[in-house]
Amino acid sequence: MTDNPFMTMKNIDKSFNGVPVLKNVSLKVEKGEIHALLGENGAGKSTLMNILGGVHLPDNGSVYIDGEQVKMLNPRISQEQGISFIHQELNVVADLKVYENMFLGSEIRNKVGFLKVEEMCRETHDVMATLGVDIDPKEYVRNLDTSYKQLIEIAKALLRKSRLIIMDEPTTSLAEHEVNRLFELMRSLKQSGVSIIYISHKLKEIKTVCDSYTVLRDGELVGTGSMERENPETITKLMVGKAISQERYVHENPFGPVIMEVKNLTSEGLFNDINFTLQQGEILGFTGLAGDGRTELFESLFGYRKKYSGEVRINGELVKIDHPRKALKAGIGFVPKNRKENAIIKDLSVIHNMSLSSMGNFESSGFLRDNLEKERFQYYKDALNIKVHNPQITIDKLSGGNQQKVVIAKWLEANTDILIFDNPTQGIDVGAKQEIYQEIVTLSEQGKAVIVLSSEAPEIIKICHSINVMYQGEITARFDGKSANEEEIMQYATGSKREAKKIG
Amino acid sequence: MANIDAKEYSTKPSTTKSRLSWLWSEYSVIIAFIVIFIASAILNPRFMDLNNQLNILMQVSIIGIIAMGMTVVMLSGGIDLSVGSVLALAGVISVLALNASGSILVGIFTALLVGSFAGFLNGLMVAKGRIASFIATLGMMAGARSIALYIADGGSVSGEVAGFTAISNSDLWIFDVPVIIFLAMTAAVFVIMHKTRFGRYVYALGSNEKAALLSAIRVDRIKIGVYTLIGSLVGIAAVIETSRLNSISSSSSGAQYELDAIAAVIIGGTRMTGGRGKIIGTLFGVLILGILNNMMNLMNVSPYLQGFVKGLIIIIAVVFQKRE
Repeated sequence: MTDNPFMTMKNIDKSFNGVPVLKNVSLKVEKGEIHALLGENGAGKSTLMNILGGVHLPDNGSVYIDGEQVKMLNPRISQEQGISFIHQELNVVADLKVYENMFLGSEIRNKVGFLKVEEMCRETHDVMATLGVDIDPKEYVRNLDTSYKQLIEIAKALLRKSRLIIMDEPTTSLAEHEVNRLFELMRSLKQSGVSIIYISHKLKEIKTVCDSYTVLRDGELVGTGSMERENPETITKLMVGKAISQERYVHENPFGPVIMEVKNLTSEGLFNDINFTLQQGEILGFTGLAGDGRTELFESLFGYRKKYSGEVRINGELVKIDHPRKALKAGIGFVPKNRKENAIIKDLSVIHNMSLSSMGNFESSGFLRDNLEKERFQYYKDALNIKVHNPQITIDKLSGGNQQKVVIAKWLEANTDILIFDNPTQGIDVGAKQEIYQEIVTLSEQGKAVIVLSSEAPEIIKICHSINVMYQGEITARFDGKSANEEEIMQYATGSKREAKKIG
Repeated sequence: MANIDAKEYSTKPSTTKSRLSWLWSEYSVIIAFIVIFIASAILNPRFMDLNNQLNILMQVSIIGIIAMGMTVVMLSGGIDLSVGSVLALAGVISVLALNASGSILVGIFTALLVGSFAGFLNGLMVAKGRIASFIATLGMMAGARSIALYIADGGSVSGEVAGFTAISNSDLWIFDVPVIIFLAMTAAVFVIMHKTRFGRYVYALGSNEKAALLSAIRVDRIKIGVYTLIGSLVGIAAVIETSRLNSISSSSSGAQYELDAIAAVIIGGTRMTGGRGKIIGTLFGVLILGILNNMMNLMNVSPYLQGFVKGLIIIIAVVFQKRE
């Protein structure tokens, strides 16, 4: 490596509410290189990039641009230094024209204050031309493909004379040929001396396009170097780490009869030809990266999404589930991910959140009985160790782990034979995590059939009897929980490997 | 990634100050009512007269019944602008049915039917058609008024059945019948919202529709139920309105009732976006509006200025509630 990198971050420390997120992390990006920033969810990538972008201030450490120390106090300073951030969700306004998006917030105006439309169009056209694309600057953005929207973001970065572009998982919403176009573009940017920090999970892509890499794990720098000398396996190992506990919670209890059978389930653009069976007492895991379609798959099975085809049998009977209520009647419960948006009713009390899916249990002659609800809640409070002083307070005052336990109690009260957990330990602390794992295992031992979705492979290995790996809407591999290892799962989840024969 | 979980709820409010602020946030509308009531009593001695008090109750009863339904709609996260027009339509049709049949019961039943059917249509548009409630009920507002005008040829229709006026013009003990109906409806809506699963679902849906759906609640049916409920309450209000003067005007009856009802709900502390609010709050919201109207009349405030005062009160009420 040369001695004058374009951008250096040195010994960055950052913690939120006393929880360290970054520990002594350094990052060096050369002029005109594509640098991969890798790590699992929660490894600290976004925090590091937010520090570079001036969104967060580091507790310790410093940032150098062209060898000079810069204090990134706010996003504006970062932009002035030539750093652009292209987020995973694109920040383009669909109802504006291309040139209007390009100049949003920095429109060219004449002395009176009117917009110089022609000049903006011309400049837009010029920048697009350097990128080798031909878009009418007056086209509405909503009429363009996703890849073009990405182009607009990149063009915007170039227009602002950016010298370092951060791309956060830019390929998740792109089709294959669009990905290739993006890579060509990245290479030509590189030629013109622009540096790129490329955040992605997809090792295959990284291998094709990146020059060097940095891997973070649990907020620490665990590896950095040139891409050429590494192969995807070693990088996966770095990301995952070896020191993870392999202790499994789940025991090999005997399974009961098949309770759920799914055949050829397909939903255009979300998931394709999904087949699996689920037995009583089994814990079945589904894992993969963001955008692999597993959440959509189970939202469909739960009746939240209606546009899918294929067969679902429960206890041998063909069922058509097009509303969550029907799923409940068929015996399926669903603890969704993103608790705040999907699971808790923040204006209702803790008790009322618990009883919401099974109000019939608390009624007598058509009226609700508060004391029945109270008694029942007391039972779950003890059984699940829910820490709450006064269950009449609204649920949003509880910690994440306790909220999740209330949501689980809600579905236990509904008493379904099948329970689906989507990312059940999202945003909750370690202690509560263990308790939830334990509860899931206990449920299976009681004969319930459980499905667990998670992007965290170690979690899936810990608590599942068998594991399905999904990639772009398809099940690409199936492992036995005992023999699965994280690296192999990652290879299938990132698409770098695929089981040759069609499974299922 | 940032750990922003809320802290464990362990400390109860114990200081006097925090207790006071809790009292204020829970019961601000009642406190406001007491303040306005006392101020009115001091400003004008006639205010405390029993007849005046009963008069206020009588005057608010129609808006009050509608406001109860409006509370439920707004708790579900919607709004119903069509109440005034539907009241006129239900009134006109029920008078025709009354005169044709000669039966008071048929008249009442017709008003209820028209009201709840209009509400049901609103519900269908909102729940199944996925039209924003503001738009759907705006359409109903224009449509219902237009049909009422067409049927009555732009004028009024009068009842020809003896005894129909007795509904609004007789008393039970010291209370007028409309007041009793209003209080009974308040109690009924209170029970529905707090003691039945329908009420629980309405709160859930208004607070977080997606989570309600994912909790296996038939969100569509609940919405249809909510609009049908306000529709039938409007039907009841139409009977009272028609019976009071034994006639209903297709052009002016019910005009701007939606604004008064929404104002009462807002003053009562129900959140515009739904999920939070109380029936009791609306009751006091209705009473506050009634006292203000009454006081302005007693103090000879120009009727042209009364709207200004009302607007001011609504805005002040919302500003205070923002502080939560």
